[in-house]
Amino acid sequence: MHIGSGFLSPPVWGTMAAVSGAALAGSLAAAGRQLDDRKVPLMGVMGAFVFAAQMVNFPVLAGTSGHLGGGFLLGVLLGPALGTIVMASVLVVQALVFQDGGVEALGANIFVMGVLPCLLGGAVRGLWRHRSGLAYPVTFGGAAVGVLAGATVVILLLALSGSLPARVSLAEAIGVMDFIHLFIGVVEGAVTVAVVAFVVGARREAVFGRPLAAPVGEASA
Amino acid sequence: MTAYNRNTLLVGLLAAVAIGGAVSYFASARPDGLEKTQEDLGAAEPVREPVAPPPSVFEEYSLTWLGEGFWGDAAAGVFGALLVLVVVLAVARLVRGARRTRRDRP
Repeated sequence: MHIGSGFLSPPVWGTMAAVSGAALAGSLAAAGRQLDDRKVPLMGVMGAFVFAAQMVNFPVLAGTSGHLGGGFLLGVLLGPALGTIVMASVLVVQALVFQDGGVEALGANIFVMGVLPCLLGGAVRGLWRHRSGLAYPVTFGGAAVGVLAGATVVILLLALSGSLPARVSLAEAIGVMDFIHLFIGVVEGAVTVAVVAFVVGARREAVFGRPLAAPVGEASA
Repeated sequence: MTAYNRNTLLVGLLAAVAIGGAVSYFASARPDGLEKTQEDLGAAEPVREPVAPPPSVFEEYSLTWLGEGFWGDAAAGVFGALLVLVVVLAVARLVRGARRTRRDRP
């Protein structure tokens, strides 16, 4: 879902760069309070994992493919701030080293695949922390909604930039984009639930800090 | 770094390297959802002059001088995953460094 170069108008990519820049600045400030010896390795490894997973395009429908976004996943496991930092790192490497996504579109791509799904993912962290049975269905649906929300924003940005033909209505463009991304979103949801369940099961303390029921007198993280 | 952290790193890195280095070879070459949408809507060509990306030894997630095929893809996947790891760890180190400096200030 990386917007390439030459599709966004300067006011649009400039605005998105400012929005994502502000979100990143806020995330870095918050990270100062959230980082500990368990979080840092988890961030690095999840970044490497999301980069690798994004390379694996899977076929959907006829003649198209999709790949994992990973923003919702990072939001659940790391929270919105650390998740956005990791996702921005992935997208910067992709744009500067692998020519995936336009350099001037980086702010827009960080918003669509980072800030937005990371915020949504962060909102369901509590369900996993409290071992709620709702964690599985809500994460599945939330990750899919995150993909659809991102896909819709991409079309809005392209439309605002004059990158859609005049004969195509906005509703039609969103319809085409979101129909494909509904299928991609289902895969995103399934993979997100599987990876979150695995990582929370294996490394609960790295994801949430010390157990909720810490003995009295023990500092809680 | 504790043994606990080392294990977390190793298991996750192994998964990332295996996926980026090997599974990615079997990735679908079809256009992704956005590219397909742009094609279907007749909006696949950029309407403005594209910004040239920095020069790179990688093309289409493949190391060009290893030729097309498994090893070029594998090199790109492994290098990219490790580069993201290094970037994230560097950012985390800078953030923690900044915090420590602030705290130490009288």
